[in-house]
Amino acid sequence: MELKINGAIRNVDVEDNMPLLWVLRDELNMTGTKYGCGVSACGACTVQIDGVATRTCTLPASAAVGKEIKTIEGVAANGQLSAIQKAWIEHQVPQCGYCQSGQIMAAEALLDSNPNPTDEDIDKSMTNICRCGTYQRIRSAIHTAAKWRAEETTLQG
Amino acid sequence: MGKWTRRAFIATGGLAGAGLIVGVAGIMHVNKAIKKYSGVGMGDGASLNAWVRIAPDNTITMAVPRAEMGQGVYTALPMLIAEELEVDMNQIEIVHPQPESPYANTFFLDPNPRKAYASYSLMAKVAAFLPVVGTGGSTSVKDLYDHLREMGATARAALIAAAAEKWGVTAADCYAESAHVINKKTKEKLTYGSLAEAASKVELDFNPPLKEQKDFKLLGKRIQRLDIPEKVTGAADFSIDVRPEGMLVAAIRHATYIGGTVNGITNIEEVEQMKGVKKVVMLEDGLGAAVVADNTWRAKNAAMALDFDEAGNTLENVSSADISKMLGEIVADESKMIATSEAYGDANAALNGEAKVIEANYEVPYLSHCTMEPLNCTMVINGDKCEVWVGHQGGSMVRDAINTVTEIPKENIKVNITYLGGGFGRRAELDFVKKAAMVAKQMPGTPIQLVFTREEDMKNGTYRPAVASNFKGTIGADGMIDAWENKMALQSVSSSFMLRTMPAMAEGPEKDPQTSEGAIELPYGRNNVSVQFGQLDLPALQVGNWRSVGASQNGFFSESFMDEMAHAAGQDPYEFRKKHIQKSDLPDAPRFLAVLNKVADMASWSTPLPEGKYRGIAILKSFGSIVGQVAEITKTDEKEISIDKVYCVIDCGRIVNPDTIEAQMQSGIIYGLTAALYNEITLDNGQVVQQNFPQYEMVRMNTSPTVAVHIMEVDEYPGGVGEPGTPPAAPALTNAIFAATGERVRSLPLNKLGYTFV
Repeated sequence: MELKINGAIRNVDVEDNMPLLWVLRDELNMTGTKYGCGVSACGACTVQIDGVATRTCTLPASAAVGKEIKTIEGVAANGQLSAIQKAWIEHQVPQCGYCQSGQIMAAEALLDSNPNPTDEDIDKSMTNICRCGTYQRIRSAIHTAAKWRAEETTLQG
Repeated sequence: MGKWTRRAFIATGGLAGAGLIVGVAGIMHVNKAIKKYSGVGMGDGASLNAWVRIAPDNTITMAVPRAEMGQGVYTALPMLIAEELEVDMNQIEIVHPQPESPYANTFFLDPNPRKAYASYSLMAKVAAFLPVVGTGGSTSVKDLYDHLREMGATARAALIAAAAEKWGVTAADCYAESAHVINKKTKEKLTYGSLAEAASKVELDFNPPLKEQKDFKLLGKRIQRLDIPEKVTGAADFSIDVRPEGMLVAAIRHATYIGGTVNGITNIEEVEQMKGVKKVVMLEDGLGAAVVADNTWRAKNAAMALDFDEAGNTLENVSSADISKMLGEIVADESKMIATSEAYGDANAALNGEAKVIEANYEVPYLSHCTMEPLNCTMVINGDKCEVWVGHQGGSMVRDAINTVTEIPKENIKVNITYLGGGFGRRAELDFVKKAAMVAKQMPGTPIQLVFTREEDMKNGTYRPAVASNFKGTIGADGMIDAWENKMALQSVSSSFMLRTMPAMAEGPEKDPQTSEGAIELPYGRNNVSVQFGQLDLPALQVGNWRSVGASQNGFFSESFMDEMAHAAGQDPYEFRKKHIQKSDLPDAPRFLAVLNKVADMASWSTPLPEGKYRGIAILKSFGSIVGQVAEITKTDEKEISIDKVYCVIDCGRIVNPDTIEAQMQSGIIYGLTAALYNEITLDNGQVVQQNFPQYEMVRMNTSPTVAVHIMEVDEYPGGVGEPGTPPAAPALTNAIFAATGERVRSLPLNKLGYTFV
């Protein structure tokens, strides 16, 4: 099957029902996307599919054919970290770091659809588990990234 | 200076060829092949000791032989070296070295000279025989705070000596800054890189003095963590991410029942026909099987398809209600107590006097660690050689375990410690390493990544034990506690852990100091105290070190009963604690008092909260640090609670990286609250009921409180920070719930008592 991942076409020979997570991790060696639960409960496997934050551990890869798949590896453009990634560093968010790919993918999707989210919006959209409990810093980092993105838009405008 | 020399000797003992005197060229035991997994390479250059290597291009490579599991050790330890070595944080590269003796955790060996927490006395016995290179017990900074500064200082002195010789001046004419030696008179500069070779041959005849705290440039400052940049791009490799050439995945499936065994598999041929499957391997320990395949999902599905012929269920008739009953029977029976952990005055007499006895029974359940990265281990065995990639808290334990299973000589086992996707004590265990070895040795030459699914991980834990505590107390005529008695029942964590990992050193449960952590040496002056414990014998159900260990339950018990006593005495919980701390003769009682007062002040304790809001307070010392917390909650409905804010004050002595300390407090609190709100592992006739997050919920963004942290500035030897944030979280919350509802919470989790959280 043909998948479009981070702008590149990738061909894989897998069962239709193999979850996208395992195509990424084991067939394409793109290990930034993580396995956490296998039942779409924790969000460690979150990527964007056509811009929507999607848990891939239960999503058949065949369901992503013809769509734009964006993984953590595709977030930094031309070696430049995104505003969210920079904000994650600014607020020193990650601890063990295992869930953070999924958190960042969820946060990117949130800010793409809602450039200035309230705390309530963040509560609703950011549902991934972080066992290290970095939620408070994730929240602060999202607000900072929203501000930076707005400033960037203003500058460009 | 004597101490220094002794430590240097311990540090290098048993390492052939290494320098025996600090400052003499040592051998940098770094495995170059791990570059990929530690993010940096060694490069060229010269070693100034086992911890510092400097390349001609002025790259400063530091060894960090402790597991980075989120607690910031890959930054804190380099900071200690860099402070004295006079290098900038952005000049540092890190390697995780092989688990050689210079890197043994000597805190396991000899914690007492540090006047620090003696919880690892069992480990100390082990360390006396084996150099344990391990991470746990919040020991990394406690162990290395002096030693690494000494390593930095001696390396700097050697570099200065080399420069002085080159310039024909004295060392006093030079100083060091940002990895350069500078000539005071001529302002000439030489890079460390240009001096390292010569410096590595310098023999120092003195111990350079360490900096005074006022001169610190790094320690005590908020320093950005070195591991974070690669953790925001997906580039950081956990052991589940390693992909050695030709690697196959082995999905493990254990017997259905805890401690159960598998006699055979009735459909091996069928399963071996499944797509991608290479081999079905029966584990030699009889506890299960693994399916080796070319993809994790295929391996997992095939493992699920195995038909086990299972034998034995040693816990056949044991369910959680039975365990609860057994624990209750132990705490109710004085004769079942196997050891006394603290006793003074005469609690028995005081409890049989005139005063009204306040009695309460507490109980908490088994808990899973639930590291975010499910357990896994990658290994390749080639004849008498082995290489392993694993996120593990004990590099030397990994090597020893592989040696035990495979008989491959230890020196032929290359151990690559990757980032850990959470440790919390679960990654101090060896089950996943040994099982990887059992599979890998049946697939010689092929790298095998053994993976537990989340379900296998949750069902085959080394759980925090279920624990019961029976408290009795009396209040004297002065309104102060007169008698305090606590009888505990549980399975000994140290005994269970040591039997699994280092059986020759295992001791009986009566010798387990971890059982009493958080139950004894409370900072409260009381006349008559008795703390005892009994053992629940249930060896098939393994218990282990769960973030903050004994203090995880005892903090909840002790600080809840303290609240009950305050209530019985008709006094404010903060004022009541304060008076008892003032009465305490513990040497660090003044530090407790300062923490308590500070957290009450932060939370504006004396100012009444608006209607519908309530607060609770708790304080505990664990792992050498004192932590006080106030939880502020809103009662949004009958049994519906919002945890709005947690105020947290820590006294961990000298501060290394305040940002990390703050992060660890936030983390420890969420960890403690998650267990308090949602978590229990229960047994149904020998089978673990909970399988995955839907049955073992976590605090998430919407239920996470804001945590405000204050770090006391105290010029004392450092305590730990990875664990001490956890124990006060539950009692601060449940004491607030008591204030809100009048219901005294004596068992967890709260959702089982009908509470919901918003």
